[in-house]
Amino acid sequence: MSKWIDLQHLLSPALERPVTLEPALSHADLCVQALSLAAGLHARGVRNLAVHLEDSAELAIALLGAWRAGVRVLLPADLQAQSRERLAPHVDLWISEHAGDTTLAELYAEPLPAAALDLDFVGLTLCTSGSSGEPKLIDKTLRQMHAEVLGLQALWGEALGDAVIVGSVAAQHIYGLLFRVLWPLCAGRVFVRRAQPFPEDLQRWSLAQANFAWIASPALLKRMGDNLDWQALARVRRVFSSGGPLPSDTGAQLAELLGQVPTEIFGSSETGGIAWRQGGSLWQPFADVQVGLNDDGALYIRSPYLAPGHTEQTADGASLHADGRFELLGRQDRIVKLEEKRISLPMLEQALADHPWVADARFGVVQDKRAYLGALVALNDAGLHALRNQGRRAVTDSLRQHLSPHCIALALPRRWRLVRHLPLNAQGKLPQAVLEQALYAARTLLPEVVSQREENGEWHLEVDVPLDLAHFSGHFPKTPILPGVVQVDWAQTLARGLMHLPPRFCGMEVLKFQQLARPGDRLQLHLRFDAERGKLYFSYRNGEAACSSGRILLEAARVSA
Amino acid sequence: MSDLQLEIKNLIIEALGLEDIGPDDIDADMALFGEGLGLDSVDALELGLAIQKRFGFKIDADAKDTRKHFANVASLAVFVSAQQAA
Repeated sequence: MSKWIDLQHLLSPALERPVTLEPALSHADLCVQALSLAAGLHARGVRNLAVHLEDSAELAIALLGAWRAGVRVLLPADLQAQSRERLAPHVDLWISEHAGDTTLAELYAEPLPAAALDLDFVGLTLCTSGSSGEPKLIDKTLRQMHAEVLGLQALWGEALGDAVIVGSVAAQHIYGLLFRVLWPLCAGRVFVRRAQPFPEDLQRWSLAQANFAWIASPALLKRMGDNLDWQALARVRRVFSSGGPLPSDTGAQLAELLGQVPTEIFGSSETGGIAWRQGGSLWQPFADVQVGLNDDGALYIRSPYLAPGHTEQTADGASLHADGRFELLGRQDRIVKLEEKRISLPMLEQALADHPWVADARFGVVQDKRAYLGALVALNDAGLHALRNQGRRAVTDSLRQHLSPHCIALALPRRWRLVRHLPLNAQGKLPQAVLEQALYAARTLLPEVVSQREENGEWHLEVDVPLDLAHFSGHFPKTPILPGVVQVDWAQTLARGLMHLPPRFCGMEVLKFQQLARPGDRLQLHLRFDAERGKLYFSYRNGEAACSSGRILLEAARVSA
Repeated sequence: MSDLQLEIKNLIIEALGLEDIGPDDIDADMALFGEGLGLDSVDALELGLAIQKRFGFKIDADAKDTRKHFANVASLAVFVSAQQAA
């Protein structure tokens, strides 16, 4: 097993041990490149460096080089246009594989001499989603990160031994950064450069090594497939999973195939690692981590992975057990996780509300075959105009496109429900249950009855034609109109709720369709039943204009002889 | 459009639970991921499982770059035919 090197001493150009593969890179070469980068950053006067690199060996070079030069590294979670714009005021230079950004090699200069790193330097800023909608920047000292990797090594260093680290998750987040890069670097374990998000690739890289361990997530572990060589993969020294809970049936299935239940890590960008478990529902806090609950039952953390003396209050509801372990009971804010990706619903709602067709919007999680986001969108007048003249697809496409620079593809809503007004309660809030009901419901088939009154046995109703009426998709999808057959059906259905009518439909008479009814129209529906003749008279008006009218013939049920 | 391409389009819609999208909305050479249909990384995993299940073969885990076949419906149809013939 390789010798442990503390984080502050990682810049040791004399250390001859391998760091990574394809192409291979030794620790000595890594140090030379980091020190060359440090010189280049120093010469350019860079103080704040944004880094987004899929090659984690390059990421290691960027981190060590920046820290040697006293440069703070920001790790954006993605390179979406909006993320870049928001971070721009904090960043002097971007390093990424993205066109227009700088590459490491462009910055290399005559290397600075090696030196110990300052553990109290605030060298890292993680960028994540805040619950207010604004992105959140989380600063870390090298000492905090060092404490984390020491803790991990104490727990699992021996079990991992010389395993090559193969990851399926990005290293832009705290989990991937610690487990795929910093911990292996200190421990002298070789790591695979790029994340391997597909099971076949994970297998290929793994089986090429004498020993290996996985840094994975539920998104992959839930979807491994039966085309893998499980017998060979069972050599895996340890399977780590983080970012969200692993379903217990997935854990049990992997235990059968691999002979071990994955080791789950619970933590966050703010807190770093909090606890771990290997099966079961209870989480074991890491050795130096203290946990407690606030008055709302949400977990707070004190730990050496935080700034000294700081208590981090989370929004994770929990219950504590006498043996020190705890159970998680769900988040108390409007941050959701989809496939381990942290998504701020208020941020998306604010972004969508900026669309010229949108008055207001609320997002929620829809649990279908997989979990995705649904959006309940109140269209303004311009939005209604667009819906009437271009159709639903044109509207939802435009809303998607508007959102896409604000979030990763995974966060784009898959289900859209369009309304004129959000169903707010008296306090001006949209209760979660109402939102979920709107998102889970199939697109409506019936109108919304705004008012109804009876006069001499005749009924006068006001009905709104829903924006989201399911019938609009089939009929002229680009110019949605209310089909005549649906108008007849509504008249009969609504009349049956108000009057006693014979059950059998026998036909129609003198149907007239004079003016189109479209989404968002408020129609006046007049219903009169002539019991003697068995005829239901209906007429729809849109203000002054007659839309349609006719008679529906109804008969008593036939009595079988 | 071949029957196989249509079957794959319907499989994509069904397996991934896409709302408001019909087979006619997916061109055979439209990119499935990123720009185009806009599927995400989890869809890629789901689609890999669904294709194997529907067409009754196992993606060769030793072959490199099998995921390149998932670029669009046309390339997937070629891949599925080749796997079925093999």
